[in-house]
Amino acid sequence: MHEMSLALEICRIAEEHVGTAALGDVRTVVLEVGDDAGVEVSSLEFCLEALLGSPPFGAARPVIEPAAGDVLRVKYLEVET
Amino acid sequence: MKVRTIEVRERVMARNDELAAAVRSRLGAARVPAFNLVSSPGSGKTLLLERTLERLGDRLRMAVVTGDVQTQNDADRLAARTDRLVQAVVTNGACHLDASQVTSALDAVDLEDTDLLFIENVGNLVCPASWDLGETARVVVFSVTEGEDKPVKYPKMFRLARYAVLNKVDLLPHLDFDLERAMAFARQVNPDLRFFLTSARTGEGMDEWCAFLEDEVAAARAKVWAAGGGPGAAAGHGGGAAVAAGEA
Repeated sequence: MHEMSLALEICRIAEEHVGTAALGDVRTVVLEVGDDAGVEVSSLEFCLEALLGSPPFGAARPVIEPAAGDVLRVKYLEVET
Repeated sequence: MKVRTIEVRERVMARNDELAAAVRSRLGAARVPAFNLVSSPGSGKTLLLERTLERLGDRLRMAVVTGDVQTQNDADRLAARTDRLVQAVVTNGACHLDASQVTSALDAVDLEDTDLLFIENVGNLVCPASWDLGETARVVVFSVTEGEDKPVKYPKMFRLARYAVLNKVDLLPHLDFDLERAMAFARQVNPDLRFFLTSARTGEGMDEWCAFLEDEVAAARAKVWAAGGGPGAAAGHGGGAAVAAGEA
């Protein structure tokens, strides 16, 4: 199930952008997932919900925007200040 | 409560692809062709490699990186066929190899003392397709005991492969498998796919497979590394170009 590997990498990218200490303040992780990205969206959502809902994250949730092609990227983060 | 937005716009595979590009650059500098063998479980990858090591062992210096979810059984089988290095990567549940695991495995391989590298990926026709490992080319191994329509069921894997080994052809007389139909399905998703029809068990087709590998090694030795080739070609050959510049 490679969606867990992808979810872990998405968490690493979030950490790179906000810093470890602020991970608890992340509220939303917005992703673009293409229809040819080789990703089972419901599996990725399931993995991300598990990771983003537990430490070092607080109560973040994933938002997956469908896209065309093989795009698979983290678009933006919403962080509480 | 205020919420601020942090723009990221980063590809999830970016880090893996950077590592794969570095692997491709290392292999290019050492002029070592590397084949990433992908297939479903039970297609005969390991036996194909065992027979390849036996046949070419006195002519080529081959290294192998094997990926398995659990156990080092494949690595042990291959190590019994060669006195060269066989690196086992146990993924502990992960369904594919990634470029970081190959990077670590290659740290133990003396590439200057290697002619050819095989990466035996985890048996899985889905997940390994998404991970560039820095290989020269992917080889999809597809056995005749599987359904003819595997290529259209798993198109990404067949689309990204440059070569297809149709293995276990010794069993064809006992099966309803339609070889032409299977090859037509494969060409439907990848018209450029080159086929090898083999039986690792009986040796049928192994001469052609091994001759191809020797040709690839000779071509890599002769090659001035420049842009082109490889599944991650766009990002993957920067280092190769640098080697060419160094030789000029």
